[in-house]
Amino acid sequence: MTIQNISRQPSVEPALRIVIVGHVDHGKSTLIGRLFYDTGAIPAERYDEIERTCKAQGRPFEYAYLMDALEEEREQNVTIETTQTRFRSSRRGYLIIDAPGHKEFLKNMVTGASEADAAILIVDGEEGVREQTRRHAYILALLGISQVMVTINKLDRVGFDRARFDQVAAETVHFLHSIGLTAQFLVPISARQGDNVVERSSATPWYQGPTILDALDAFSPAALDRSRPGRMPVQDVYRWDDVRRYVGRVESGTFRRGDRVRFLPSGRESRIRSIERWPEARVPAAAAGTCVGIHLEDEVYVEPGEVMSRPQDGPVPAVEVHASVFWMGRTPLSLGTRYGFKIGSADAQAEVVAIEERIDPVSLEVRQRYAEWLGESEVGRVVLRLEKPVAADTFETNPKLGRFVLVEQGVVRGGGIIRSLGMASGARSVRVIELGERLLVDPSGALIDLRSEGGDIEIAADARFLARVRAGERVALRFSGMRPFGAFLNWAWEHFIPVTFRREQEGVWVSCGAPEYASATEHYLDGPGI
Amino acid sequence: MSTMTTPGLLRVDPEESAYLDALENQTMFIFREAYRRFENLAMLWSIGKDSTAMLWVARKAFFGRVPFPLVHIDTTMKHPVMIEFRDQIASEWGLDLRVGTNREALDSGMGPDKGRFECCTALKTSALQRLIEQHGFKGIFLGIRRDEEGSRAKERVFSPRDRDFQWNFKDQPPELWDQFNTAYGDDTHVRIHPILHWTEMDIWRYIRREGIPVCSLYFSNGTHRYRSLGCVPCNSNFPSTASTVDQIIHELEHTTTPERAGRAQDHEKAYMMQKLRSLGYM
Repeated sequence: MTIQNISRQPSVEPALRIVIVGHVDHGKSTLIGRLFYDTGAIPAERYDEIERTCKAQGRPFEYAYLMDALEEEREQNVTIETTQTRFRSSRRGYLIIDAPGHKEFLKNMVTGASEADAAILIVDGEEGVREQTRRHAYILALLGISQVMVTINKLDRVGFDRARFDQVAAETVHFLHSIGLTAQFLVPISARQGDNVVERSSATPWYQGPTILDALDAFSPAALDRSRPGRMPVQDVYRWDDVRRYVGRVESGTFRRGDRVRFLPSGRESRIRSIERWPEARVPAAAAGTCVGIHLEDEVYVEPGEVMSRPQDGPVPAVEVHASVFWMGRTPLSLGTRYGFKIGSADAQAEVVAIEERIDPVSLEVRQRYAEWLGESEVGRVVLRLEKPVAADTFETNPKLGRFVLVEQGVVRGGGIIRSLGMASGARSVRVIELGERLLVDPSGALIDLRSEGGDIEIAADARFLARVRAGERVALRFSGMRPFGAFLNWAWEHFIPVTFRREQEGVWVSCGAPEYASATEHYLDGPGI
Repeated sequence: MSTMTTPGLLRVDPEESAYLDALENQTMFIFREAYRRFENLAMLWSIGKDSTAMLWVARKAFFGRVPFPLVHIDTTMKHPVMIEFRDQIASEWGLDLRVGTNREALDSGMGPDKGRFECCTALKTSALQRLIEQHGFKGIFLGIRRDEEGSRAKERVFSPRDRDFQWNFKDQPPELWDQFNTAYGDDTHVRIHPILHWTEMDIWRYIRREGIPVCSLYFSNGTHRYRSLGCVPCNSNFPSTASTVDQIIHELEHTTTPERAGRAQDHEKAYMMQKLRSLGYM
């Protein structure tokens, strides 16, 4: 492609949304400015204005100024806020989300990146991979962004040395692999000079791959979730003029007039009488992405926050959520604390019952298992207990209903991706047994007697109970049937609780919470124990 | 001259239509989310093309009605056809219109000759602030767009203002996956930006598809037209013969001049818009 092909074309193909991330000063804003300039996306007046500002400050033309609109940003020469601006290639339009690189601006980076279809990770060829390079890449992986390009910048400062490019590229790719990301392209550039950004550079004869713009053209917009099972979180119920409309946006699948529908977590069912999209009183169907009003055949009591689905493939009415959480609050996320939990159109309170792993998003090392808290900009595997059942999916089965935010004092402080869910009672008549509530103290120690329990049960425990068990306190349990015991083993498996058991005529004797598996085994093999 | 112009020929390209549907759905979603979360809402209607198109989407979100009042900040220096257009639409669409004017400032002689920064702050920002206090509005819908101007590009969809009306752009909470920050203290109000993600071109294409009436000043009088509407003393037109929506779209596809080039307050001094906006300007 040559530069003459690039113009402001009137096509309306939806823009590809790209986020540009990387360490501070590795050249994000400069790359964006260069893309705008070389594709002719900067109006002449804007260019003149920046040229004047730079001249007044006695600096060479600063591409970064195109993005850094706020006075503070120009004075400090850093981007503070997420910005969106557009440019075009000959193939399609682009919406660039500039995500600032400073550590304290992580929330802006996440805000920007959560909307992106694809990402460019920019790395300074002189400096190599730095702290925020890793942190940002990890956030991309967490947000589920899989279209990623790596570009090694500032190669003019190292004489476009191929060995240096190979070295930094290898270092970056190695890190990406460790977090499950693959770079589709590795592009050597100098953003300031424009090498391999839009125009192929003669300074890198050793590089045969695409320019940044060509590589972007090879990405594709995120597909709408039309093929997944139908989901419409109920955003509100309008009762006007004796008409009850259940309003919401279809997040996945398609709903049609006449469809049998079930609302979760209440489990109420009805049939779609009509789908309204003003000014049309009746449309035949509503596909993913559409905001509609639903009229039902029956006047069912459905609250905002419930999810409309079809009876056969609805979401899970969840009471326990196992998730990867990234925390952006200044005060840490802490064990035993309750937070607001928002998913789809639902609001609930969630208690942090376990922080199974506290992960350093830079080194990816597990800083701590069964931690008490998760600090600002940290990531963790967290278990949340919901105060009431909420309809949810795992991120893998349905991303739109498999992600949530955590709210503290009315403000979003964290985000999470659901790995697995604990079901609520009701939907499949599962009974939840709270271990802490069933704890008895008998002469031989702590005992939970569940011999009277049968059928479908689910085991749960609050933060206090988990902490005691993890601290090494031993708890004995008795079961009479295999199914309740199986439910208990599931719980122990999910929470990494060591368990030993002994099958006997009248049931099962179990001990959990022993600090060392080996010593516990010995104990039980040696004597009657419990 | 007629105050209303409805585009003539309706051309619907399926790709363009799908793209506009996506923009419209996102805006409907934001409207409904705000309506669910806030008791006392109002929408700022500048009579311009953006807030008029936004008003159109509000009618779609709420099945033909607009369940909150519309606020027009009248500096008394608006083009007379804007006021005619306003009153005509308000009566046709059954709108609850509230007009806010800073009489005190006008009586003491405020005008652009006292300085554009001072004039915008007194006649727009202060007038809005008073109206919000008077009615106790907790949320205000504003038709600003990211592509309009630098400081607007940095906005969130739900953007709180403090008791003194100020915007703390350096410490904005994160917004992700359409989960907005909607719980704030009583001493604050929230600016809600339902069309933040639209561009100027998107607005015109949407006006064309939907047949939305817009003020006649946007169309050429034979030699000139306005691209952005404001107060007469600070608003200039430019040479253009575009007299239909199709011609305007064609013209915009080939221009390199920014939309607000004809708005004097943007160019008075460096960072003027940022300073105005951090004090509560729209």
